[in-house]
Amino acid sequence: MRLSGLTLRHFRNLGSQDLEFPPEGIALIGDNAQGKSNFLEAIYYLETFRSFRGARDEQLVGFNSELFRVTGTMQATDEECGTEVVAAAFERNGKRKKVSVNGEEPERLGDALGRLAAVVFSPRDTQLVSGGPKKRRRFLDIVLSLSQPGYLAAIQEYRRILQQRNVSLKTGQPPSVVMAWDSGLIKSGASVTRARRDWIDLRCEAFRDYYARISDGVSARITYAPSLSLTGAASEGGIAEAFRDALAVTAERERRVGATVVGPHRDEVQLQLDNGGSTLDLRQYGSGGQRRTAALALRLVEAKSIRESRRKQPLILLDDVFAEFDSGRSERVLELMETEETGQVVLTAPREEHVRIHSDSLPRWRITAGVVAT
Amino acid sequence: MSVIDQLTGELSRLPGIGPKTALRLVHYLMKGSKGDTRRLSRTIAQLAERIRPCRVCGNFSEDELCQVCSDPRRDRSTICVVEEAYEVGSIERTGQYRGLFHVLGGRLSPLDGVGPAELNMDGLLERVQRSSGEIGEVILATNASVEGEATAVYLEHEIRPLGPRVTRLARGIPVGGDLEYIDGNTIAQALAGRREMES
Repeated sequence: MRLSGLTLRHFRNLGSQDLEFPPEGIALIGDNAQGKSNFLEAIYYLETFRSFRGARDEQLVGFNSELFRVTGTMQATDEECGTEVVAAAFERNGKRKKVSVNGEEPERLGDALGRLAAVVFSPRDTQLVSGGPKKRRRFLDIVLSLSQPGYLAAIQEYRRILQQRNVSLKTGQPPSVVMAWDSGLIKSGASVTRARRDWIDLRCEAFRDYYARISDGVSARITYAPSLSLTGAASEGGIAEAFRDALAVTAERERRVGATVVGPHRDEVQLQLDNGGSTLDLRQYGSGGQRRTAALALRLVEAKSIRESRRKQPLILLDDVFAEFDSGRSERVLELMETEETGQVVLTAPREEHVRIHSDSLPRWRITAGVVAT
Repeated sequence: MSVIDQLTGELSRLPGIGPKTALRLVHYLMKGSKGDTRRLSRTIAQLAERIRPCRVCGNFSEDELCQVCSDPRRDRSTICVVEEAYEVGSIERTGQYRGLFHVLGGRLSPLDGVGPAELNMDGLLERVQRSSGEIGEVILATNASVEGEATAVYLEHEIRPLGPRVTRLARGIPVGGDLEYIDGNTIAQALAGRREMES
């Protein structure tokens, strides 16, 4: 898949424009606060129907406008597969979101997710490493929702049941009422836990490899630190059993605190540096450069995961990511991108010198006050 | 406020009816015969006066006992438990069920402040207990939602010690369903609940 056309209507400061994309992608050059990140945000909106910067939909509607609309035309790289048109619109007043694929509204929003197959690399990604465990769970949830059938349904069900169960704990309902939620919690929770564990097991080598290649040989690792003890629990049934046991053990504590204290909502993903026999936790002790490297490696793993589980060459969106790396690192990142990410690239940078990817061959577009000149 | 506005407002509170449809209905009533409109309003008034929950099962009823509970031909050894009274009709229309019903009046949902006490659960347990073994099976036909499932689990734990068999409606492929168009979650459930062919 590659993005061949993009239609923007009142998305943030981008106004209304119809753009055609070359197959290799583009480099968008512009000063700060002209709309470079907004541009990538609009494109990525077609992947998850949410802002990758965590903004609410209301905030994405341009000033003096009632609604925004983004429409993307995707061309299959395989000529015979034709095109697919994904559109998303949001109306400020009615708070209504409308999504369509080839003009038809899907029954559920989830059915339209991931059509674009894109990965965003942004300077904000360091928060994946330095932020709380919630950031890393969210990363996993997005990647898995887009690549594993059934994951989105399982995590949504888990969250809903957790909410219900926590209210019954908080309001001091008798154990028989709290326990009514257990089997649903265990079933959806075991499915989420298994998917997360399997994904990290499968991808930890790639993370180590990418980190080493960017940092010139430093060894790092990603480890799943689940809230449930999974020793000996290989299958989903085994995990479910471990969950049931853990709920029994924590029953008294959860009554006291009025909330469920075990389960995938308490999972952590550890990012560590191998430091001559000992390990160093990147979240707490990593330097700025190390954290940026780990975040970038995570995004590269995400792209690899799209290639392998969704069989698509992802569209790479680079939001001014080379600016903050020292020259050695950014040289190596560039090299890595050239070999691994052979698909379409949309890159933003404040100055031309920062555009060297794809042998400096990307057509230059310029953006001024939200208006793109091709 | 004019009568027209008032009626439009009242009608638009009904499910599936917005202000535009409500106004269209009001116009229709104004143009139609006065007799028809009076009969409609009388019938609606009667609904409020006559319909009450059945003393035994909670189903809609015009008498103390609903039509199902008062029918001597019904099988009294089975109770089918549903969330809402209108779901009794859904099961009745199949013509396949000859037992009794029990209407809970909702489902467990702590988020909405609904616990066992807010539902017609004691009535059900009492019925099972008082039947002294006559009720051999309780079918839990609560919805296949997260809340409906929790309600079923709760009831299962309460009913089983009292003796009867507790069963749950099967889940899976709808009749005439085409695999291509059924969501993955439903297919997964249908796979998990597959049965031996007995043709």
